[in-house]
Amino acid sequence: MRETLAKNVVLNIKQLQQFRTIKIQIDFLRPIDKKESTKRRLLANVMSNSSAKYPSFKAINDREMELYGAEINAYTRSLLNFNDLGFSVEFADPSFLTGNTKQLENNLELLNDIIFHPNLKSADEFDEMAFTTEKRNMLSNLEAVDDNQDLVSMLELAKLVHLNDQNRQLPIFGDKEELKSLTNSELVDYYHQAIDNDFVMINVVGNVDPEKFSKLMRDKFTGLVESKNRRDLQVQFEDFTDLIKMPATKTDQKTVNQSHLALAFVSDKLEKGSSHLAPQAMNLIFGGDDQSQLFLQVRERNSLAYSVSSTYQPTNHLLTVQAGLDGKDMAKAIALIKRQLEFIQNGEFTDSQIEHAKKVLHTRREVASDTIQHYIMRSMWETVYPEAVLAEDKYQNELAKVSRNDIIRVANRLHIIAQYQMMGE
Amino acid sequence: MAEKLQKFVQTLPNGFRVTAVPLPGYKQTYSVAMANFGSVDTNLGSGKYLPAGIAHFIEHKLFAKPGYDVSEKFAEYGANANAYTSYTKTAYLYQTLENPYDNLKVLLDLIEHPYFTEDNVASERGIINQEIQMYLDMPEWVLEERILEQLYPGDPIAKDIAGSTDSLQSINKDNLLATYKNSYRPQNMDLVVVGNIDFDKILKVVDDSPFDNNQTAPIVKHNEATKIGPGGQSSMNISQSRAAFGIRVDTKLSGYELVKYQYILNMILETLIGESSENYQAMTQKNLIDDSFSYNVVAENDYCFIIVSGSTNDPKAFQDYLRNCLLNNNLEEILTPERFERIRRDAIGAYLFAQNSPDAIANQIAELQFYDVDYLELIQLLNSITLDDVFTASKEIFMDKNFTHYNLIADGK
Repeated sequence: MRETLAKNVVLNIKQLQQFRTIKIQIDFLRPIDKKESTKRRLLANVMSNSSAKYPSFKAINDREMELYGAEINAYTRSLLNFNDLGFSVEFADPSFLTGNTKQLENNLELLNDIIFHPNLKSADEFDEMAFTTEKRNMLSNLEAVDDNQDLVSMLELAKLVHLNDQNRQLPIFGDKEELKSLTNSELVDYYHQAIDNDFVMINVVGNVDPEKFSKLMRDKFTGLVESKNRRDLQVQFEDFTDLIKMPATKTDQKTVNQSHLALAFVSDKLEKGSSHLAPQAMNLIFGGDDQSQLFLQVRERNSLAYSVSSTYQPTNHLLTVQAGLDGKDMAKAIALIKRQLEFIQNGEFTDSQIEHAKKVLHTRREVASDTIQHYIMRSMWETVYPEAVLAEDKYQNELAKVSRNDIIRVANRLHIIAQYQMMGE
Repeated sequence: MAEKLQKFVQTLPNGFRVTAVPLPGYKQTYSVAMANFGSVDTNLGSGKYLPAGIAHFIEHKLFAKPGYDVSEKFAEYGANANAYTSYTKTAYLYQTLENPYDNLKVLLDLIEHPYFTEDNVASERGIINQEIQMYLDMPEWVLEERILEQLYPGDPIAKDIAGSTDSLQSINKDNLLATYKNSYRPQNMDLVVVGNIDFDKILKVVDDSPFDNNQTAPIVKHNEATKIGPGGQSSMNISQSRAAFGIRVDTKLSGYELVKYQYILNMILETLIGESSENYQAMTQKNLIDDSFSYNVVAENDYCFIIVSGSTNDPKAFQDYLRNCLLNNNLEEILTPERFERIRRDAIGAYLFAQNSPDAIANQIAELQFYDVDYLELIQLLNSITLDDVFTASKEIFMDKNFTHYNLIADGK
């Protein structure tokens, strides 16, 4: 069931009895702006760890435990060109508990407290303890990023890929220097801007009665139902033309045991008549699973890396490769990775590789539907960018249509746009 | 009340235990074959040890068969396969949408037919060595290994699960095969299948694939716990220091009682230093911890310990605070019946959350069966714990002689 609660406030309810839990997720979206990313992440942390009614981390945690281990989660992430500030609560389906019939109402109220009744000291400031604790925690988390070499490698690649988009130069989870100078009153000011004006999506999955839930939302979430000025969403895609002409490269030396390699390619638009799933099939043959060329040739046959894989992002047509390897093998590994791409460009792959890729695409799609998050993400895409969602019959048609020539064409229309190397010393 | 899970179990004459859990509404089938054998099982007695990392090496190399790799077979039948090694278990698993019984045959082929050659062992060394290098760059991983070296000095549990660059050189096709034959016995393994499946068909597939490895009991040498270490620290090229406070709990409990004890220890730790505790608040306010702070209770045969760890600006103050708050704890005052009920509810919720996931169900069933615990009776186990059980346990564990620590100091701090 889908309904609009107010202008740019959308409610999606998926009633399912498959799961033992129920999840309610509320996402606030606006275009990514590098001046706002740090604020949004700190806001998520401050809001989710206390509220006016539960004014400490202990109080809110006690309440979650009382509600049979309810899990509150708050985050920011990038979704297309949007910064998604999200809050969710997941809790045990009351039909699996004895004598508890208020699980839904109580958890919805907790989510409402967190979003609309924050822990304020005054109209202009959050509770001092809540603000300083979360600011310190976030600073600590940002410092710890440097200790995660896989993540560092991917962030460096992202900086190169988004060389021409200043707003994406900053990671979605913020920046240490901006955080240090962020004040309590600035954050409260931003809280009102975001919560009052962002586009809102509410997604509910689990054993809930849609009509009853809709009424509960309207009664409890007046802050959403009565909103009038929420912004529209306009999907925009990045242009990588400059990087195709001149790929961006960077090499760092670091005191680490394992070296890292990250590559990014962009694919041209599909030729008319090609299957929409050809790039995903091509990625699977290239580096998408343990039967792929990268896994079998780089890891298994030549023992050059423990981890080596590729990922394709359909919305921006980016294909990325990640590998963890011995620094002395870097040149050899790069040559071997390029050779695997040529292997596909030349059409040297077998028919059984094509069939395997199709089978994996089908299986992944079906298996994903065994999770609550699948239904939430599907609803989100249907709301924000419906073109990205293929209906089941259309998906099966496109899958059946994937041909050898489609895959060869995709591989030949890939352009390297960025390369990052972290050399261990 | 909604319908509860159902479970079918049969132990075959050779001792191989087979379990199936139908999961209506789910599209996938998930299967796991688990050996009660992990990285700590290297003690041959008389002071002789297998090379560190041999269990993990077997896990990697069992996929190799004459002329093919088992992953290819799984792929042919549409399954995604994987494996993992822990301190005490090794598991092989697949997830599939179709052909659950053909994939089960492949899983049985995987665990029943080793094929180790000089060449395939040599090529695997390079891959595993890269895996070891990867973990050496992860401070949390390094810290866990170092605190275990303090908790159990010189013991196999203090070695990296994957071994070391040196120990890999001592692993060869002969000791791999001998170790496989000793440990991969039907009565030392569990098979659990979760999904839209028929138990009789599963039994038929298992019957048709005789598991004829040595059917006597495996040779198990218990590791003798040595004196706990005094603590230590070292520096690492990281941006933030990490600290670990360790508590060793030498208990003679096993099986069902050991699993119950693990729940009791978790309740104690949750009350004293969990996110809802006064101590967590105080440590946060003193700027000693951030939200990476956590504790982990491990209760296995021969090993029972607690590791409390996290990033910190002041490792010494972190250790001092924990030592004092645990030694001088006021558990009997603060663990009121109301709070006890809250913790119980939290555990019930966690049990239901896990039931959303076929892999969590399968892995927990397989593991718990080695401790004679029925996964479907976990709530009853939980309800059987009394406040007195918790208070009694707390008096036995918080003593200076059980404590140790390790700090990883960020370079330049």
